[in-house]
Amino acid sequence: METLRRNRTLLITLAILAFLLFTAIQGLSTRDWVITLLRGISVGAITFLVASGLSLIFGLLDVLNLAHGTLFMIGAYVGWTTYLRPDTLVDLLPPVLLLAAGLLLGPFWAALVGRWRTSRTVSRAWPWAALILAVALATLVFAQWPLARWDPAVAAQSPATYSLQLDQAIKAGQARAAPAPAAQGGLLRLAGAFLGSALLALGLAGFSAARYGGAGKVTGAPRRWALGALLLVTGVGIYTGDAALTRFLFGLDTAWLFLIALLVALVTGAALGALMEITLIRPLYTRPIYQLMLTLGLGVSGIELVQAIWGRTEFNMPKPALFQGSGAGCPATSIVDWLANGCSTIDVLGGRIRTYNELFVILIGVIVLVAVSVLLQRSRLGMIIRAGVQDSEMVEALGINVRQVFTLVFALGAALATLGGIIAAPSMGLSPLMGESLLLAALIALAIGGLTSFPGAAAGSLLVGLVQQFIIKYGQIGIRLPFLEQPFKPTPPLVPASTVLLMVIILLVLPQGLFGRKE
Amino acid sequence: MPDAILEVQEVHTFIGQFHILQGVSVSVPRGGIVVLLGRNGAGKTTTLKTILGLLPPRQGQVIFDGQSVQGRRSFDIAALGIGFVPEHRAIFRSLSVAENLKIAERARGDLDRKADFIFGLFPDLKRLYRLPGNHLSGGQQQMLAVARALVPDNRLLLIDEPSEGLAPIIIEQMMHAIRQLSAESTVLLVEQNFVVASQLAESYVIIEEGRSVQAGLMADLVVDRETIQRYLGAA
Repeated sequence: METLRRNRTLLITLAILAFLLFTAIQGLSTRDWVITLLRGISVGAITFLVASGLSLIFGLLDVLNLAHGTLFMIGAYVGWTTYLRPDTLVDLLPPVLLLAAGLLLGPFWAALVGRWRTSRTVSRAWPWAALILAVALATLVFAQWPLARWDPAVAAQSPATYSLQLDQAIKAGQARAAPAPAAQGGLLRLAGAFLGSALLALGLAGFSAARYGGAGKVTGAPRRWALGALLLVTGVGIYTGDAALTRFLFGLDTAWLFLIALLVALVTGAALGALMEITLIRPLYTRPIYQLMLTLGLGVSGIELVQAIWGRTEFNMPKPALFQGSGAGCPATSIVDWLANGCSTIDVLGGRIRTYNELFVILIGVIVLVAVSVLLQRSRLGMIIRAGVQDSEMVEALGINVRQVFTLVFALGAALATLGGIIAAPSMGLSPLMGESLLLAALIALAIGGLTSFPGAAAGSLLVGLVQQFIIKYGQIGIRLPFLEQPFKPTPPLVPASTVLLMVIILLVLPQGLFGRKE
Repeated sequence: MPDAILEVQEVHTFIGQFHILQGVSVSVPRGGIVVLLGRNGAGKTTTLKTILGLLPPRQGQVIFDGQSVQGRRSFDIAALGIGFVPEHRAIFRSLSVAENLKIAERARGDLDRKADFIFGLFPDLKRLYRLPGNHLSGGQQQMLAVARALVPDNRLLLIDEPSEGLAPIIIEQMMHAIRQLSAESTVLLVEQNFVVASQLAESYVIIEEGRSVQAGLMADLVVDRETIQRYLGAA
C-alpha cells in the first residue's frame, strides 16, 4: 500500500513533467523551452522559501501563519535598507543590540529584586512602575537617537532615488560616497537605552512572577551572561565606530554588501519570528481560530507599518555589480566566464538567461532545500521536529523542552521567509503588497505538496512556478488547440488561476496532496 | 511513608471544564510494581498524565522522590527521572526504531550504555533497528514504546496498558520484560487485564469515578471476590 502510494506520487509528477515536455515539442523552440523552464524553477525557488517555512511551522505548531507573506516583504525591505543605506543599519544597531542585551540580562535583575520580601501591594505595583519608567526612558532616549533616514514624501530623498543612484553608480563602476554621518550623542544615550530595556525586562519578569509565583532560578545563566555581555560590547563598539563603519560599508563591493543584507534579513526574520511566537502565538495554542486571526491581523499591520516607513510607492533594488555587467566578454558563455566578467546574462542555446534571476535564485533555493533537509534528517533537532509533528506531548514527556523547539522552528520558518524576500527583491522590486501574492502561491504549493511535508513543499512550489511561467510564455506566443482557428493566448488573469486549477486537479486525485499523509 | 518514590496527594485535575480527577491519592514505594485498577474512564490515564504534568492538577500535589513537582513543566518533571509509556503504543511512526530510541536520550551516550539491557529484554528490536516505526507490528511497537522509556536512567516508569490489543504470546513476553525492568526502577502500571495485573504487581490502587477508593497488597485483593466484583466488574 505504502509503495503504491509512493509510486502514485511519482507517476503524477512524471505525468506533469511529460506534459511539459510534450508542450515543448508542440509550440516552443528548445531555446524558449529551456528559458521558460529555468524561469519556472526560479519562481518555484522563491515560492519554496516562503512555503518551506510555512510548512515547518504548520507541521509542528499547527499554526497557519498568515503573516508569512508580510515577513517575506519585511525581509525585502530590511535587506534593501542594509544594501542601499548601510548608514541607517549602523545607526540602528546599537539601540537594538542594547535592547536585546537588556532583555537577556533582565532576569538576573529580577532574581535580585525578588530576594527582598515585600508586601503584596508593593510586589503587585513594582512591575507596573518598572514598565512605566521603561517606556518613559525609551521615549526620552529614542526620540533623540541620531538616525540616518530617508523621506518617501520628498522625491530627492525617497527610496526610489537612492535605488536609482546606486544603480547608476554600479553601471558606471564607481563607489558611492558615504553620506555625512548623523550627529553623535553622548554615552548617556547608550546607558539610557540599556537601562530602559533592563527596566522593561524587569517589569515583564515581575508580571510573570506575580502570575506563576516566584522568580525561580535563571536558566542557562553563564550562556546568558556571555551573550548579554557580547551584545552590550558590540553595541557600544558600533556606536563609537559609527562613522568608520559607515565609510567601510559604503566602500564595500556590492556583492559583499548584498551578502551582508542576506544575513541581516535572516537575523531579522529569526528575531521577529521568535518574538512573535513567544509573545503572541504562545498564549493562544488552545485557541487556534484566534491564532489564525492574530496572524492575519499581524500581516496587515506589518504592511501598514512598512508603508509608513518606506512609503507606498514601489521601487527597485539594483542587483549587485556581479550580476550587472554588459561590457567586454558579455554575455558570458559559461559560468566561469560570468564570474570573471560579472555578466548580467549567459548564453544558453542561443538564448539569454539572466545570471541573477535564473541562476543565483535557483542556487539559493537548492542550498536551502539541501540545508533544511539535512537539518531535518540528520540532526537531533530535526529528529525532535519530525517526532513533534506527530505527537508533541509525547516528545515533552521524554524530557524535551518542546516549547523551546516551537520557538526555534517559528524563528527558522520566519527567517526562511525573510531570506526569500531579500532574494526576490532585486528581481521582483519592492512593494508593500509583494508578500501577499507569494503567500497565496505558497499556500497553493503546500496544498499540492501535502500540508506538512517538507519535500511536498518543494515539489508543490516547483510545480506552481513552472505552471505560472509556462502560462505566461503561452500568453505571448499562443497555444494551438485543435478546435480553435486562432492560437489561444492565456490572458494574465489566467496565471494565478492556472495554479489554482492545478491544485484542484491534484487534490481531486490525491486529497492529501502529493506527499501528504493520511490521518 | 518515608521510602515512597512517588506520592500523589489528593489531586484534582480538569480536562477543559470537566472535573476528571476528584481526589486521587497514590503512594508508590521504591522498587517493585504498583498497579492502578479501575473501570474504563475511571481516571487512570489521567492520573499518569497528572503525575507527569501533562495535565497539571488544580488541587493537591505530586511529590517525586521527596520533591514537589508543582509548577514545573512536563519536560522538567520527566527529566527528574520519570519514563512514560503511553497507551495505544504511541511511538513515533515516521522515525526509525533507532531514532525512536535515540530521541529519548537525555545525555549523549545514554543509548550506547543501555543498548545491551534493552536488546536483552527485546531481542526483536535489534533486528528491526533500521526500520521505520510504521513497519512494526503492534507487539513490536509496544516493545519499542517500553524500550524508549528505558534509554535514560529513569527511577520511575509510568506504563499505560502494556497488554492492550496484544496476542497472548506477546503479552507473556511483555510481562517477562516488565518484571525484569522492575528490578532496575519502580513501575507504576495501568492495566485493565486483571490476570496480567495480579501476576505482575505487588500492590494496587483502585480508582473509581475520579477518586482513589481502595489500596492495598495484591495478595489480599485476589482473594477478595467482593471488591473485585464491585469495582472491576466480573473477574
